[in-house]
Amino acid sequence: MADQTPILEKLDAALSELLADWNIYTTVFAGILAAFAIYSVISNKDPDVHPFLLARQSTASPIRQTGESATYRSLETPYGFPLRQGLNVKDPGAPKWTAGRRGDLRDIWKTAVRGALNEDGTTSGKQGKIYTVLGKNAVEHSLAQVTQEINVIGRHLQKAEVKTVAVCLTDSIELLAAIFAGSFYGFKIVLIPHNLPATTLSSHLQNSKADALIAEVGSLDLSLVAKANKQLSVVIWVAKYGNRHMDWHGVPKDVKGTLEVAVWHELAEEVKDLSGFDVPEYDPTTSTPAVHTVWPSASQSGEFIEFKQENLAAAISALGSALPRNQRFNSSDLVLSIDSLSRSYPLCQIFNALFSNASIALNSVAGEDVDFALATKGVSPTVIIASSRTMSEYHDHVMKPHTGLISSLGRWVQAQTLDAGNMPSQNFFSRLAQVGPTAELSLENLRLLCISHRVDAAASVRLTSEQLTDLRIYMGARIVYALTGPGIAGAISQTNVFDYRDLNGPSHFGAPLSSTEITLTGVSENQTSEENPEGQIMVAGPAVVDGKTTLSSRGRIATDNTIGLCA
Amino acid sequence: MAAAEGSAPQAEVFVYPRSITTTSQTNPPARMSIASPINLVLLSLFVVLLYFHFRPKQPVTLPRGPPPVVFRTYTPKTLIEFNGEDGRPVFLAVRGRVFDVSPGRNFYGPGGPYENFAGRDASRGLAHQSFDEEMLTKDLSGPLDDLKDLDADQLENLQSWEERFSEKYLVVGKLVAEGDPEAPKS
Repeated sequence: MADQTPILEKLDAALSELLADWNIYTTVFAGILAAFAIYSVISNKDPDVHPFLLARQSTASPIRQTGESATYRSLETPYGFPLRQGLNVKDPGAPKWTAGRRGDLRDIWKTAVRGALNEDGTTSGKQGKIYTVLGKNAVEHSLAQVTQEINVIGRHLQKAEVKTVAVCLTDSIELLAAIFAGSFYGFKIVLIPHNLPATTLSSHLQNSKADALIAEVGSLDLSLVAKANKQLSVVIWVAKYGNRHMDWHGVPKDVKGTLEVAVWHELAEEVKDLSGFDVPEYDPTTSTPAVHTVWPSASQSGEFIEFKQENLAAAISALGSALPRNQRFNSSDLVLSIDSLSRSYPLCQIFNALFSNASIALNSVAGEDVDFALATKGVSPTVIIASSRTMSEYHDHVMKPHTGLISSLGRWVQAQTLDAGNMPSQNFFSRLAQVGPTAELSLENLRLLCISHRVDAAASVRLTSEQLTDLRIYMGARIVYALTGPGIAGAISQTNVFDYRDLNGPSHFGAPLSSTEITLTGVSENQTSEENPEGQIMVAGPAVVDGKTTLSSRGRIATDNTIGLCA
Repeated sequence: MAAAEGSAPQAEVFVYPRSITTTSQTNPPARMSIASPINLVLLSLFVVLLYFHFRPKQPVTLPRGPPPVVFRTYTPKTLIEFNGEDGRPVFLAVRGRVFDVSPGRNFYGPGGPYENFAGRDASRGLAHQSFDEEMLTKDLSGPLDDLKDLDADQLENLQSWEERFSEKYLVVGKLVAEGDPEAPKS
């Protein structure tokens, strides 16, 4: 006790001496310190998702075949559980606890027309809308109007007894109506990318044995196509608003007897009163014809992929459930696709939007390589679907050069929030960050960017983690980044919408969707178990045509069980 | 401000003598030094706080799970190794499928009621609900038991066992007869 007093006294003296220097600066410092401490505590939020869910994003099977990796699956459908089969459509009147049907495109349109449901399951009557973007203007269409066109075109083609309809259109309401008409009225739809040379188009028609063609007026030389395709019996021209006054019924002489030519808007006008605004009645147990798309391949012709309706249903459902509940498409969303609907990811996401009663916007310039700023003019979407090529070019050619010192400062602050696992809210720093890079955009409502990367696309358009962080900050939107492959409806895998981690190098592609599973084949047996398995990507599941496909690309499973592409 | 005013008299008492020794008396603002010890203490506290707020956060990583078991093809002769002795795993085969029943070592392993099945083709035994030695195929080099003589009840019995195994245990391989084209060359 005795020698403790001097220590206390000394301490007291030292403290007094220290405090003795208190002056006006000290008060200012103390104020700043206290303010910062309070701010630090208040601004400290839980991350959007538990970090462990990002640290292991998919489940690995406990068993593997020799020369293969384990099979990786989404956390929703782990090993031993069935993969997601379909949309789980419950018909009204069905017992409450029965499993739903797998569903097909007809159910998607029916759900879209039915409108959003209230909390208690009653219909609210709030339908989504469809917009077509023409330059700076957006034209609004009601779903009833589209239903009518589905009926008109469907009946016309049904009467002509065609089996396979080739659709060669830019993204438009007519394209969408034709796809649904195929499902309701029982003919196969072949989606052919527009702007193809006439000879390629002609060979596509031959390969698909199309007996009907829906195309834009003036986009192709009919006599050349008709000469090479004797099986072709019906052509429906789609005329744009500007040239509807012209007569488009001309038929090349040599096929005059066998080819019947009609114009879409005239058909719609003529039989308007005969065809109702109601969704056609259908028996859900009957099967619906497939939808074919062309997968661009190294050879000029491309590869035909036949998506069965079951493939599409599984993929659409999986894309919907891949987003956490509060991030899913809903009736207040406007989903804009600036990627061509002849590609399966945008197509499935648009169907997903329709199934979720969201409004959609289609743009006729949509494609894999478009000017992001131009394509997003005219509407203010909440969700944009784009390709990795479009985004990477926009990032490299517009955003990056326009990032000045101020933007970089704002970006740095925002990146801190992202690193902590939170999406930065719109505030002073976000405006600071966005001042240069996205000045030309008007995307106030944007909340989600869905980017898809073709597995065989150039490695230079693969987005890096840093680019994704830039896009998140400068556009103020969350991102999902999906990997697509030939023969797989929707996507193979997609990143978690809350995964903001800025890892080095090219970004990974997240975990498999709940309708697919990934196995790497040709894996070296000499690898130690600590190494990341690397091999050719094999995808299986209900979303895959014929159940299983092996891609030509090699992939790697990282420590967090996400898939990435090699080299 | 209240704190500053309150401590001002003290400041004169303690600081004044020191400032005489260091700087000239004719320079009163020197007492209002910005680099006083207390300010430096507060400043360094602030820097520490800043660091903790903005320090780069490493993403969480989880350790890798156990490596997956490789699916293998067994023959009766290679399967018999896996009878659970000396800490080896316990396998048993049902109708050509090899199950890893190590989690149920107490039952299927050495000393358990079903120990005869460890490392063997258990199909006939399970069908007959009998754990006797006679139920096992004696000749390990011979063909697999084709179970052709089982009646409907026994087959149903076997079926329910197989379903139970499939639910609980992992299929780690398949069983083929010695000399089968699929059998691994030893």
